[in-house]
Amino acid sequence: MQSKRLFDRIDSIQFKGVTKKYGSVFAVKDLDLEIQGGELLILIGPSGSGKTTALRMMNRMIEQDSGTVTINGLDTREVDPVRLRRNMGYVIQNIGLFPHMTIGENIGLVPKLEGWDKNRIEKRVRELLDFVSLPPEMFMNRYPRQLSGGQQQRIGLARAMAMDPPLFLMDEPFGALDPILRKQLQKEFVKIKNEINRTIVFVTHDIEEALILGDRIAIMDQAKLVQVGPPEELIFNPVNDLVADIVDAKRKFKHMDTLNVKDLMSPFEEKYAFDGKMEACDAVEEMTSKDIENAFVFDGEEFLGHVTMIDLMKCRTKAQKLADIARPVKNFQPLDSVALALSEMKKSKEHLAIVMDSKHPIGILVSDEVLLKLI
Amino acid sequence: MSTLQIIANVWDKHLMTMRTIEHLQMFSIALLLSIIIGVTVGVFIYMKPKTANTVLNFLNIVETIPDLALIVLLLPILKLGAGPTIAACVLYSILPIARNTYTGLKGVDEQYTYVAHAIGMSPREALFKVRIPMSLPLIAGGIRIALVFCMGVVTLGGLVAAGGLGTVLQNGIQLYQKDVILIAGLWTGLLAVFLDGFAGIVEKKLHERYGTW
Repeated sequence: MQSKRLFDRIDSIQFKGVTKKYGSVFAVKDLDLEIQGGELLILIGPSGSGKTTALRMMNRMIEQDSGTVTINGLDTREVDPVRLRRNMGYVIQNIGLFPHMTIGENIGLVPKLEGWDKNRIEKRVRELLDFVSLPPEMFMNRYPRQLSGGQQQRIGLARAMAMDPPLFLMDEPFGALDPILRKQLQKEFVKIKNEINRTIVFVTHDIEEALILGDRIAIMDQAKLVQVGPPEELIFNPVNDLVADIVDAKRKFKHMDTLNVKDLMSPFEEKYAFDGKMEACDAVEEMTSKDIENAFVFDGEEFLGHVTMIDLMKCRTKAQKLADIARPVKNFQPLDSVALALSEMKKSKEHLAIVMDSKHPIGILVSDEVLLKLI
Repeated sequence: MSTLQIIANVWDKHLMTMRTIEHLQMFSIALLLSIIIGVTVGVFIYMKPKTANTVLNFLNIVETIPDLALIVLLLPILKLGAGPTIAACVLYSILPIARNTYTGLKGVDEQYTYVAHAIGMSPREALFKVRIPMSLPLIAGGIRIALVFCMGVVTLGGLVAAGGLGTVLQNGIQLYQKDVILIAGLWTGLLAVFLDGFAGIVEKKLHERYGTW
C-alpha cells in the first residue's frame, strides 16, 4: 500500500481557536498559532502548559475539542490519521525504538509498510545511518539495547527521516540525555536542520535549547499561548514577567552591558565581499560554490549593502546587477555597545549588520549568533 | 533376564514405538489447535476488553471439570478414538494460552504502542508488528503450561481407546503387569519432562529476543 504524499512541502500550519479539555481542565485553550513553512518553531513552557498537547494535535494523536488545525489549508481532521502521520517525522523523548527489531528494521519500518522493496529500503537505511554518523555495517543488524542513549536518539531521528517527510514533530527529543551529550546532539542537530531544511515543530522545556535551535519560540503557560516570536524579541520585549523569567532576560542583559560589538561579531571574510557590477545570476553561482547565503556588496571601497541568496534567486526572470538589489544594512563601530546595536537591528527587523573600522569591513554581527554566544 | 531385556520385551510386545508416535501425534495436533484457538481468543478479548472477564471466567469453569469427566462427557459427541482426547486437551489449554496472550498484550509498554501509532502504523499493523511480537515470551509461557496439561490428558486417552501410551498403561493395569506399568509410566513422564525442557529453552530464547529490559 503506497500512499500518495499529502504535501511535498509545508507552506503554513495554522491553529485556529484550538481547545482541548480534560474534564474541566483546559489542556490547550483557544490556541491561535501559525507555523511558517521551513521554520523551526519551539514550543516551550512549564509542565502542564499544553505544549505537548498542541504538538500531538498536529498528528491527531490527540484530537481537539474545538477549533481547527490546518496544514497548507487542509483540515487535519479530514485526513486519515495513519496517512497524516506517515507524512510527518516523529521523534519522542524516550525514543521508542522497538526492542524486537534490529536498527535496520526500526529505521526501515515505515518504508516497509509503504511497500518499498527490500533493496530500496536497505539503500535508504544505509543513507540515513551515514547521515546520522553511524556506520551502517556496524549498526544495521544490532538491537536497540546494544546502543548507547545518544546512538539510540540518532536512530530515532533517522527513523523519523525515513520517508523524507516535509514536517517533523519533535517532543523533547534530547530531554532524557545527560547535559554534555545533549549539547553535542543539539550541535549536530543544528547542522542536520540546515541540511534537511524542513519545517520542524519542537517541544522542549530547556530555554537554552530553545534559543539555540529555534527560529521562533512560542511560550505557553496554563494552556495558553503567551508570546511567540524570534528569540531576540522574547529577550528584549517580553510581554510579561513569566516570559522574562523563562528567557532569563535579566541575566543576559547583565552580560550585555559590558560587551561591545567587537566581542561578538564574526570576522569579515573576503568571500563575503561582492562587486556591485556583478550580474545576480553569476553571484548565485559564486555564492553556491563558496557555500554562503549572504553577501556584502561593494563598489570599490564604498559599501552598498547586503544581499541574500533568496533575493538573488529571482534573477532568472529579471536580469539585474548586485548594486541594484543590495539593501542597506546597519553599520556599527567595533566599540559600540552590543545591547544598543541589537535593539537597533531589531527595530529595523534586520538579522545582519556590518561592522566597519573607519572604511574597512572587519566583522559581521548576526543577531542569532549574538544570542548563542551570550548563553 | 536383564533389565534391558525386560524393557525390550515390553516395548516390543506393547508396540511402544507405534504408541509413542500416536501419543505424540495426538499431542501435537491438540497443542497446535490450542495455540491457534488460545492466541485468537487472547487477541479477541484484548481487542474487546469488555468480554475479557466473561470469557476468562468461562474458561476457568471449564478448567475445573475433572479431565476424566470431560473426556467422558465428550464421548457421545465425538465418539471413541482420538477425538474426545484432543478436544479435552484443547479445552484445557485455551485458558493458559489465552490468559497469557491477553496479559502479554496488555503488558506491552504503552510507549511502544504510542510510538507505533505516532509514526503511522494502523491499529492492525501495531498489533501484529509490535504488540504480538513483544508479547511472545509470555505467550510462550502459556503454551508451556498447556503443553504439560496436554501430556497428562493425552495419556488419559488410553481409557477411551484413543491410542497412545495411555493404552499401554491401561493394558498394564488391566493385566496387573507391574513392569509394563512402570516402563510405560516412566517413559511417558520422561517424554513430558523432555518436551517441557525444550519448551523452556524456546521460551528463554524468546525472552532474549523479544523481552524488554
